Amino acid sequence: MAYIKISDLNFSYRDDDGNFIPVLKDISLEIEKGEYIAVLGHNGSGKSTLAKLLNMVIDDYEGMTGKIEINGKDITSPEITEDEIYELRKDVGMVFQNPDNQLVATIVEEDVAFGPENLGLPREEIRRRVDDALATVGMSEYARHEPHRLSGGQKQRVAIAGIIAMMPECMIFDESTAMLDPIGRKEVIETIEKLNRERHITVLSITHYMDEAVRAGRVIVLNDGNILLDGTPSYIFSKPDLLREAGLDLPQCADLMLRLKKRGIPLEGDFNTPEQCVRSLLNALHK
Amino acid sequence: MTPVRIKMSKITVENVSYVYSAGTPFEVKALDDINLSIEENRITGIIGHTGSGKSTLVQMFNGLVRPDEGRILLDGADIWENPKEIGKVRFKVGLVMQYPEYQLFEETVKADIAFGPKNMGLDEDEIKNRVSECAGFVGLGQNELDKSPFDLSGGQKRRAAIAGVMAMKPEVLVLDEPAAGLDPAGRASIFDGIVKYKNSTGAAVIIVSHSMEDMAKYCDYLIVMADAKVFMTGDRDTVFSNSSQLENIGLDIPQITKVMTLLCEAGVNVSKSIYTVEDAERALLKLFGGVR
Repeated sequence: MAYIKISDLNFSYRDDDGNFIPVLKDISLEIEKGEYIAVLGHNGSGKSTLAKLLNMVIDDYEGMTGKIEINGKDITSPEITEDEIYELRKDVGMVFQNPDNQLVATIVEEDVAFGPENLGLPREEIRRRVDDALATVGMSEYARHEPHRLSGGQKQRVAIAGIIAMMPECMIFDESTAMLDPIGRKEVIETIEKLNRERHITVLSITHYMDEAVRAGRVIVLNDGNILLDGTPSYIFSKPDLLREAGLDLPQCADLMLRLKKRGIPLEGDFNTPEQCVRSLLNALHK
Repeated sequence: MTPVRIKMSKITVENVSYVYSAGTPFEVKALDDINLSIEENRITGIIGHTGSGKSTLVQMFNGLVRPDEGRILLDGADIWENPKEIGKVRFKVGLVMQYPEYQLFEETVKADIAFGPKNMGLDEDEIKNRVSECAGFVGLGQNELDKSPFDLSGGQKRRAAIAGVMAMKPEVLVLDEPAAGLDPAGRASIFDGIVKYKNSTGAAVIIVSHSMEDMAKYCDYLIVMADAKVFMTGDRDTVFSNSSQLENIGLDIPQITKVMTLLCEAGVNVSKSIYTVEDAERALLKLFGGVR
């Protein structure tokens, strides 16, 4: 059974005049437990709306048809109980774009403890979860620091630790690296990959960075509320024309290699990283 | 005797230092003895890790932050010579802060872009000209100009906000992360608009960004900041040929430049100084043509 199953989903917002504005159109999607998925799409393509529906930040279903099931439960069903919604929200954690808007406490470990405290867990359990979460994101030595004095990448990792302490099944990252410098981005991406690899947390990462998308196992491209492409990074980035139509671009590596292939140079393998490109180029040169 | 002509920089930063929370246990040195010059008719990029001092520095250019030590010279004159006159500097130096679209407030996009020029006391015709010219730079058409800013997409809103600053025709245009959070098409239209503004006005343009790809593509000159100091300055060839040094201070080189650098290191005879996919394609085609 798929962990997340979306069937024939249509979703519209209501504007100030009461008109429905369609945002998501005929989306059907199955996500298995443990997948690492990047979601791409131009601004306004519906990515964030989809994420907010899955995390139940949006829970007004007036403009919606179709079905969203998480772990076999239909989240939009009128029969769903408060307790079940509470459980589901805990299972699907979300990390947002701006690190400064997500931290609430004055000490790092208190911030991470905020979620588990609200679950009413015993003290020892909270302590254990906080220590474990901070170790997972590599921030243990900052446990007693003040969040506002950390770098952007460190703040985002603390925000991630706060979610991990809730023991989620799935985590959604809504452009969580958009405001970070290159090293901060690297720290956060490596943390996301570790969570997926070692804890088998299902990851949905919404991003505008093509070089981040190539690191996922599967890429979904949204365009004007529709699913335009769904497949491995190598498959997605072999469709440059479709991507450009959707306001997106190729990662520089894939762009270069496809152009060269078009000119008849026999290049083989994946072109997702500079290292892969160079290997393929060297092979072709030495033929 | 012929007079000696000295070329004057648009902005000169002279021994500037700045400390946040001075005298408290949280004292942080944001800028430490900075010396720089910013030239006209050039796009200068400032790169550096979070907390390296970039934003503090650019906020000094229009007098939002006053140096603790040192001077900021605009056309050779200290902008803090007479602190009461600092408002005049802000007409000459336009600052586009991060996420400027949150500052849109008028009923139409047109009125929003016209707000700055109106405050400068310009006449109706001049305001009208500037609105359509600057909307044109950033690719907003009549259709968008008549809309409410709140009916625009995120990328369009950002472009409207930038056009609003451009419409004041600042001699120095400073943009802090102008393309953050936008999709590739949105990023390209912002940067194209900035290049058009520079070409049409000859202004000194300063861009702060974390995207090495964008900076390599659009900037004529780069300033690298690290730990409150100027780490390196130069054109992109000079700066991006130091990839290991950049990595040490938390930065990177553009992906395409990395491919070329790795090829060089593997003994292939290509230039490392390549920043666009088009140039890389050309260089490699030549190479493959050569071996066959």
